[in-house]
Amino acid sequence: MIRPDAATPVSAEMAETSIGDMIHLADVHKSFGSLHVLRGVSLDVAAGEVVVLIGASGSGKSTLLRCVNGLEAIDRGEIIVDGLRVGDPKALRQVRTRVGMVFQQFNLFPHMTVLRNVAMAPMLVLGQPRDEAEARSAELLVRVGLKEKVAAYPSQLSGGQQQRVAIARALAMGPKAMLFDEVTSALDPELVGEVLRVMRGLAEDGMTMIVVTHEMAFAGDVADRVVFMDEGAFVEEGSPQQMFSDPRDVRTKQFLRRILEK
Amino acid sequence: MLFDWSSVTRYLDLIEQGLFLTIQISVVAFSGAFALGLVGALARRSRLLPLRLIAATYVEVLRNTPCMLQIFVVYFALPSFGLKFDNVVAGEIALALNVGAYMTEVFRAGIQSISSGQIEAAASLGLSGTQIFRHVVFPQAIQNIYPPLINMVTITILGSSLLTAIAVPELLGSALVIQSRTFRTIEIFAVVTGIYFVLTFGTSTLMNLLGRRLFPARARL
Amino acid sequence: MDWQAVWDSRSLLIEGVFLTLELAAVAICLGSVVGLAAALARTSRLAVVNWAAQGYIGLFRGTPLLMQLFFIYFGLPYLGVNVDRAVAAIVALTLYSGAYIAEIVRAGIESVAKGQRDAAQSLGLSFPQLMRYVVIPQAGLVTLPPLVGFYISVVKDTSLAYVIGYSELLRNAQSIIDRTARPIEVYLVVGLLYFAICFPLSRMVARLEKRVMATR
Repeated sequence: MIRPDAATPVSAEMAETSIGDMIHLADVHKSFGSLHVLRGVSLDVAAGEVVVLIGASGSGKSTLLRCVNGLEAIDRGEIIVDGLRVGDPKALRQVRTRVGMVFQQFNLFPHMTVLRNVAMAPMLVLGQPRDEAEARSAELLVRVGLKEKVAAYPSQLSGGQQQRVAIARALAMGPKAMLFDEVTSALDPELVGEVLRVMRGLAEDGMTMIVVTHEMAFAGDVADRVVFMDEGAFVEEGSPQQMFSDPRDVRTKQFLRRILEK
Repeated sequence: MLFDWSSVTRYLDLIEQGLFLTIQISVVAFSGAFALGLVGALARRSRLLPLRLIAATYVEVLRNTPCMLQIFVVYFALPSFGLKFDNVVAGEIALALNVGAYMTEVFRAGIQSISSGQIEAAASLGLSGTQIFRHVVFPQAIQNIYPPLINMVTITILGSSLLTAIAVPELLGSALVIQSRTFRTIEIFAVVTGIYFVLTFGTSTLMNLLGRRLFPARARL
Repeated sequence: MDWQAVWDSRSLLIEGVFLTLELAAVAICLGSVVGLAAALARTSRLAVVNWAAQGYIGLFRGTPLLMQLFFIYFGLPYLGVNVDRAVAAIVALTLYSGAYIAEIVRAGIESVAKGQRDAAQSLGLSFPQLMRYVVIPQAGLVTLPPLVGFYISVVKDTSLAYVIGYSELLRNAQSIIDRTARPIEVYLVVGLLYFAICFPLSRMVARLEKRVMATR
């Protein structure tokens, strides 16, 4: 039930969480100076579940994601990923091998080829030998539809292609869960589809995902659960059908009306 | 005006020696400056305040005082502290310290210009701080700083001429010796002007070409 | 540490500061004029003028200032000019500064995006109007930090005139050391004096740079 290879002893409360919880957030608070960005957020994501976070900018969605993989340190509360407590500095690198993140600005390494971008972390962090890492990376690149681009440099790719490389790069570490932070917001409209297609494929293959996005059609298709956030707290959550056709809270209604009008 | 070029050709070996010494001084000093610059830039970005202060002080003091003064300090003042160097070494040390302060700022700007997003992405993949520096930050920093780096090399070569003031027989020093013996100012200085020009122009051209090889345009940031 | 010796020589030190600033000021003023002229010459469509300017700039930027100083000091007599150290120092520093300033100005002018020049010319502005209303206002701000930065280095470079025996701060410092045999104290004070002049100017340059960045 509890990971036998956990790098840190997990607290007794862990025994109470249900089996199969991949990501567990309990009463998470985060402030930037005087700005209280996350106000007591609690969330449980089961293995294989796809959770979509929606909300206005500034509602704390991105911050939440960044706390899950430790890019931001929380002030209060607890985050457990695959049995490891996020916040313990020794466990941090291990946490990051279990959960991958894809960013809005792609953040590919411009001085490396596409193949090396994908293969670098498995070699350096997981200790994979070069041929193995490169072979698996090549497979991943085929999977995201970029077989012919292995020797190219990021500057030679379109935005959509770069983002797909970024997804492959995160997948190369063999994560149990993936975090997507508005990964299509910086793309030209005609390139959004190819990225969403890859993400849909991942969801169908059973990947645990937390996705921050404005793409409501995608959420409707792929999400198991949609959560609406406002001013650092969860307002409402439910199945996509529930949320989109019959939201209960007035703030949810207002937000959806604005978003779906576009 | 008829020029007497034999006055120069007679002392060709002196010019040669001077040239080699200039090149040696430049190479040694710039290598030192490069290392100092890297260390200094990292120190300036360190989390430890004392380190940051020491680095900042080093940079500001050496950039806001004349290089000539710094050479004199290393050669004439340090012996009182038990640090006695011969004039060539003293000159190399002073020059390295001076250019090192400028290199610190060059490196610092180069490192800073690498977007934090990439560092976050690397951290998210599980890379350690050292790994991130070595594989993501440093290769890009080198590429970023390459143009100002070439400029610093030129500055070092030109700066080596200041060592004449402490009687180092580098190229300018040799020129002065020949001038004092032959009094054919125009000829000897014209030749030395040409040599310096070829040195600086040649070095920067070569480095530019090298840069195009090392940093292919497709991998340009 | 014997500070008394330094204090006793304070008049020499103060004189040195004034001599340094004086030489720097003259070189900066004359050099800026020369530099501006050379920069304009570089924009000329007459090949001769353009190439002459390029040659001058390349020569004085690719060779050491100290060498230029000696060349002029020993070489001017051949041109019939009765050389004294001051003239040699001024001429050398002026020509040296002119070359660097020309490059700084040229970079500033070029930094004004070509698109803007195209747009202005399409609107029918003449060349002088283009310069006055579009290029110079923008180029002016961009050139200020590197220009002031270079002026600071001119102040430091006056110390090279020491080697031809011209009196400025460093030379006075050396004569005090010869008299008192206290290099550490003297160099410390002299270093502080140079620092006191240059550091505030450097901070100003840093502030100017921030302002320039903000507008881009």
